[in-house]
Amino acid sequence: MTENKVPIGPFHPLLEEAEYFELKIEGETVVDIDMEIGWMHRGHEFISESKTFTQSIYLVERICGICSTSHPLACVHAIEDIDNIEIPLRARFIRTLIGELERVHSHLLWLGLAGHFIGYDTLWMWAWKYREPILEIFEAISGNRNHYGMMRVGGVARDVDPTIIPNLLKILDTVDRKMDMIAKAAHDDPVLKSRLKGVGVLPKEDAIAYCAVGPTARASGVAIDVRKDEPTDAYDLVNFNEIVLANGDVYDKLVVRVLEIIESNKIIRQCLEKLKTAAGPILNNVKEVTPGEGIGRYEAPRGEVFHYIRSDGSNRPVRHKVRAPSYVNIPTYTVSCKGIPVADALITLAAVDPCYCCTERALRVVDSLRKPCDLDLKKLSRAKTEQIRRESHAE
Amino acid sequence: MDEYKQFLKLMGDKVTQGIEKPRRLYFTVSNENLREVARHLFVTLGCRLSTASAQETYHGLEILYHFSHDASGCYYCPRVVLTDKKNPKVNSITEIAKGAIWIEREIFDMWGIEFIGHPRMEQLLTLNNPENPDKPLRFGRPV
Repeated sequence: MTENKVPIGPFHPLLEEAEYFELKIEGETVVDIDMEIGWMHRGHEFISESKTFTQSIYLVERICGICSTSHPLACVHAIEDIDNIEIPLRARFIRTLIGELERVHSHLLWLGLAGHFIGYDTLWMWAWKYREPILEIFEAISGNRNHYGMMRVGGVARDVDPTIIPNLLKILDTVDRKMDMIAKAAHDDPVLKSRLKGVGVLPKEDAIAYCAVGPTARASGVAIDVRKDEPTDAYDLVNFNEIVLANGDVYDKLVVRVLEIIESNKIIRQCLEKLKTAAGPILNNVKEVTPGEGIGRYEAPRGEVFHYIRSDGSNRPVRHKVRAPSYVNIPTYTVSCKGIPVADALITLAAVDPCYCCTERALRVVDSLRKPCDLDLKKLSRAKTEQIRRESHAE
Repeated sequence: MDEYKQFLKLMGDKVTQGIEKPRRLYFTVSNENLREVARHLFVTLGCRLSTASAQETYHGLEILYHFSHDASGCYYCPRVVLTDKKNPKVNSITEIAKGAIWIEREIFDMWGIEFIGHPRMEQLLTLNNPENPDKPLRFGRPV
């Protein structure tokens, strides 16, 4: 059979980030995938070496719009790891609160996009509608809907005003009820199950071999979560469950994220209750960073964010290494995309939440002769859902 | 930590200069012993390769691997020092951990260190860069 190639990216008005995937297909089946990155490389590590430690925190906050608190949090953990700096109790709860709010809004963002890709626009609208109150909570706490500027070495930059906490808890009640509704919908909807069960499977042994992290690993049965494995901030002071499923398909990745939203809401609620009473400073004054090296990590919505910082005793790092979770999760496509129909490629590529928002359009290439055609992965994906829906109604 | 002491004892003279910090163990390993140590960490102890970071010093190039032992929340960090700056080569660990494929390609791209046995030793981040920056993170890089 003739092998065709379907290139996705790297530049297209509908792609919010630039990545390039080349699917090799035989008939309707994807037999191999090649990936290229590098169009977004901005040299953050290099720039960081010319910034002070405090400036580096602002710099890494701008690596990603969605993980805009995970990178600074991992960065301050790395600097604090060099000197084993202690954090005030109130600051620990505020850090955890901000981190979990970010997880909720990131998972809701992904949930909406996943629904849109498979033709479930109601799920998309629900998810983004209930993401909005979370952003309002961010605005009430930090003054910003994104890029909160909350993290500092030794604590946090801003306190949470105790008088706004009752109102934040009310907002959280609404989000909680709606999340229960979405979780039940995901569990009970036969079309959603038929569409996503068994699609883009990443077996446990491959998740381990590729060093996958976050919901991608946990959906494949790999029980890793920095919040449990190396609890920093207030994670050892709050109760929550680590969500681990076994099948490794897109459906399990969806369920992991939905259940994690519910667990995150539990953590947020506990942090807000503690912040009503836990008085005290929010920042330890750190005057210098001694020579040495430190590792900082944080469980971002997509998985472990890793920062390594080496200090020579000056006011800036001599080496700052950053590793985002998508960096180790994207190579798992090599496994999860093989053998799937091309209509499932879009949702499988989106299932690891790889920091790109829209993979809308593709050109078909026959051998080396590039000929554009009307193949549209989103149309194919949505058409398959519609077909399953029609068949289930016919039964 | 007892686990670190046990590990250092088991590895014997294959690892040197062990520095222990809370939940972190940094040590030096030679290029010849790298794969054996990496296999022990990844396969026997069940560690996960978080990443590897390279750095150039005046004495040479060094690669610091970060193996996370998630069950205990600890890190094992083997360091390989390469004194040949002109033609730096080190053994690849991709046959042990496939997660190292992109990590090693990035180090090759940014620092010019070649990984022997890597299945696809080519640039990762600057592959399609029309200006083709050569080892952009090495000393003497353009500012």
